[in-house]
Amino acid sequence: MIEVDRLRKWYRVHRRAPGLGAALRSLFHRAYEDVKAVEDVSFSISAGERVGFLGPNGAGKTTTLKVLSGLLYPTEGRVSVAGFLPQERARGFLAQITLVMGQKQQLLWDLPPSETFLLNRAIYDIPRKQYDATMAELTELLELGPLLGKPARQLSLGERMKCELAVALLHRPKVLFLDEPTIGLDVSMQATVRGFVRAYNERFGATVLLTSHYMEDVAALCPRVMVIDKGRLIYDGGLSDLVRRVRPDKRMLLRLSRPVERRDLEALGSVIEHRDAEAIVQVSQDALQPAVARALSSLPLTDLTVEDPPLEEVMRDLFAQGRAA
Amino acid sequence: MRALRVVRAQLRASIATALQYRFEFAVEGALALLWMGVTLVPLIVVFGTRESVAGWTFPEMLVVLGWFVALKGILEGTLSPSLLQVIEHVRKGTLDFVLLKPADAQLLVSLSKIEPWRMIDVAGAAIILVVAFQHIGHPPAFADLLLAALLLCSAVLVLYSIAILVVSIAFVAVRVDNLLYLFQSVFDVARWPSSVFRGALAIIFTFVLPLALMTTYPSLALLGKLNLRTAVAAVAGTLLFAAVARGIWIVSIRRYTSASS
Repeated sequence: MIEVDRLRKWYRVHRRAPGLGAALRSLFHRAYEDVKAVEDVSFSISAGERVGFLGPNGAGKTTTLKVLSGLLYPTEGRVSVAGFLPQERARGFLAQITLVMGQKQQLLWDLPPSETFLLNRAIYDIPRKQYDATMAELTELLELGPLLGKPARQLSLGERMKCELAVALLHRPKVLFLDEPTIGLDVSMQATVRGFVRAYNERFGATVLLTSHYMEDVAALCPRVMVIDKGRLIYDGGLSDLVRRVRPDKRMLLRLSRPVERRDLEALGSVIEHRDAEAIVQVSQDALQPAVARALSSLPLTDLTVEDPPLEEVMRDLFAQGRAA
Repeated sequence: MRALRVVRAQLRASIATALQYRFEFAVEGALALLWMGVTLVPLIVVFGTRESVAGWTFPEMLVVLGWFVALKGILEGTLSPSLLQVIEHVRKGTLDFVLLKPADAQLLVSLSKIEPWRMIDVAGAAIILVVAFQHIGHPPAFADLLLAALLLCSAVLVLYSIAILVVSIAFVAVRVDNLLYLFQSVFDVARWPSSVFRGALAIIFTFVLPLALMTTYPSLALLGKLNLRTAVAAVAGTLLFAAVARGIWIVSIRRYTSASS
């Protein structure tokens, strides 16, 4: 569904030193610099996949999404989405994709969302029957009912995002590019958005490429992740493999019936947290079994769970490794 | 057909937006009336001391002014607000949403915001024209009316093309609000027939900024004084200008790289 082969996107930006003098000089002589937003990225995504696109700010995620949706010309390389060259912005292509940007909105600010829906119905030339069916479905999945009549500017951020999603999916696109769709939302609204994206993907077999700063989003939605840093793809594969590769250690969460000495915990592994009734100890994958056995026999436990390290930390380590390399 | 449906939906949303603000509607409507009155003042002052200016009598000059008021209403009621909206889109990066739609982007931005109360100008212009022809003593001939209507369409198309050119510049330069205000000030010259100006100004206002086309030619047509050759040249020139503006728009869209975020 999506094929990207050695994609490169460079921007030419105008650079100048700070200060009024430099500003004046730059009027006559401009120094340009190439910013390499995306460098030699290749991947391929099959129809119906849900893929998470991770990377720090400025890594090239949004640039890649914009190239894929036809908003930016690739500097080099070949990109094909649903059999089209995105940069040609053919109608057949645009009718099959959608781009949701958590930071930007397309709802008409002064009008109720229903007006934006009607406008998009005309633009996408959606037959009345299909429009009614899609509307009913979206209203049910996202609980839009009470929101449709209120002017967009009076909706809360979460309510607005639900309507943004509905507007973006009105034409039943086969490819969804979601750029930070949960940014700024509270935990329960994030969960609603995630649940909805998954439901849409399963119901229509749509392909989803999602960027997010919330690792929860990616963990809950995307069996496959791609990690990009400084414009280069540094990982492409399953999420659990990524965690194992970057942070092969596990965490034991111990609940204690009475306080224990710190050295009793240090005998198991490295202590991350130590409080009266709770402790977190990190151990390597190989040492996990003996450590669990030892904890069970030597400590006053009420509960013991084993977890992967938090995804946020995995990513931090991954990018730190990338920088050092 | 589909383009028409898009335009209709766009218009519907624009009007609905305008109707959200009742107070603005009343105030802006009153202001439009006031400005129309002010527009008449210079004409009355000039013709208080003399019978004609550059061969134009008072009622003939009223005809020019009528066209001017009508076009000003159309310009400031539809094109200017939509244009400012596009510039806002460019600045905020939301033009992306327009470019992602499977419809012509120019079509989508052209009527994105309108101010329906400016139709008061058009009504006022009709009244000015009626008064002018009462002074003249006979109504315009039917054929002349048709020609004037054709030239009005051509004048609106020129204005629209200028607007599209300004927006195309916005893709490169981002801040072009001032250009819009400059254009509005220059457009003010169109309240006078082009033959009032001499030398370089006459050439500039006919060929560089086709103000003659906007008010002088439709007025001459209505007065039955426009020769057919000028009319044909005017319409042909308009179509050429519109085609060039469209071409520049397409090139600018291609060059546009959205504000990075």
